[in-house]
Amino acid sequence: MPQLEQVEFFISQLFWLGVFFVILFSVLTYITLPKIRAFLNQRDDFVKSHISKQDELIKKAESIIENYEAKLKEAKNQASEIINDAKDKALQESETLIKSTEEKIQQEIRQTEERVTKEKDLAISELNVQLKDSATNFISKVTKIEKGNITI
Amino acid sequence: MAKGESPLKQFEIQPIIDINLFGLDISFTNSALWMTVTTAFIMIFFTAPFLKSKKTNSVSDLYPSRMQVAAELGFSFINSLLSDTVGKEGKKYFSLVFTLFMFILFGNLFGMIPYSFTFTSHIIVTLALAMGVFIFVTILGFVKHGVKFFGFFVIPGLPIYMLPLLIPIEIISYLSRPISLSVRLFANMLAGHTLLKVFAGFVSALGIFGILPLVFIIALTGLEILIAFLQAYVFAILTCLYINDALHLH
Repeated sequence: MPQLEQVEFFISQLFWLGVFFVILFSVLTYITLPKIRAFLNQRDDFVKSHISKQDELIKKAESIIENYEAKLKEAKNQASEIINDAKDKALQESETLIKSTEEKIQQEIRQTEERVTKEKDLAISELNVQLKDSATNFISKVTKIEKGNITI
Repeated sequence: MAKGESPLKQFEIQPIIDINLFGLDISFTNSALWMTVTTAFIMIFFTAPFLKSKKTNSVSDLYPSRMQVAAELGFSFINSLLSDTVGKEGKKYFSLVFTLFMFILFGNLFGMIPYSFTFTSHIIVTLALAMGVFIFVTILGFVKHGVKFFGFFVIPGLPIYMLPLLIPIEIISYLSRPISLSVRLFANMLAGHTLLKVFAGFVSALGIFGILPLVFIIALTGLEILIAFLQAYVFAILTCLYINDALHLH
């Protein structure tokens, strides 16, 4: 087996192994690996910065939505307030209208009743007068007939 | 493969440039050549896609290119491996595990190219890597815990009369870590490549029936690529586990 027979080349192999391993190790440690690391870090930083930017934008969007919703709520509240006010006003107006109309009607009823009673009274008094007249007429006529001239 | 050639000949080391330093033979061999290829490939593969990173903030500049995605895949694979086994403290050892994994993975994968050389199929290489991990982890344990690191060999909640039996076992299992770590990788590479060569020998020997071993070789190559990945993964995850042991003891 040449591996164990060619002893004369052991030192040469060890020497060159040492030389190339040290060269490779130094180059990789001080040049190559820092370059790869820097490249990877740059990319990581880029991705990270974009993620943080994205987070910021999401937050902004969320705050805008919140703002919008708050404004919408306010507007809705205002609208419902206006509607309520209008309803109240209309209700009040209609109520006063109804009340005043009722009052008018009642007044008319009262006036009519008054007129009716007045006319009734008038008629009764007229009737009374007529009755009295006719009575006195009747009596006078009767007394005239019986005693001649009697006044009451 | 020429007739009569050993299937082990692929593991032979051939010097390309003879170098002698202070009496030591440090020739540039085919093993060193494929280490060069592996190292250069890993450096280019992972560095080049990130070289012209503009500092602009438009989205399109942040879309990764195909090569960037491929490099990122390896990065995040080791990252999750470390954080799953060691946790947050593991980040300090990222580049060590990353280098080990990629070095072994691409060493194994380049070894799958015909006529190439698999340097991870040499015990001296895998043993050196494993010993490096072992020494690093041991020093890490002592730096983190001082003398308390010896408590690692005492299993908590065990009756005292069992300790004389179990402490030596624990110590032996700890010391055998680099051996198991290195032999696992070495043996897998050796066996796989030898098997491929043996069956390749059958292809020419069987003539028209050589189609059968040829089909088998194709399937086996797929399996070997899986093993190339798997062994690098095993090496890396065991390194992570050893680091975790050194950091947290039990």
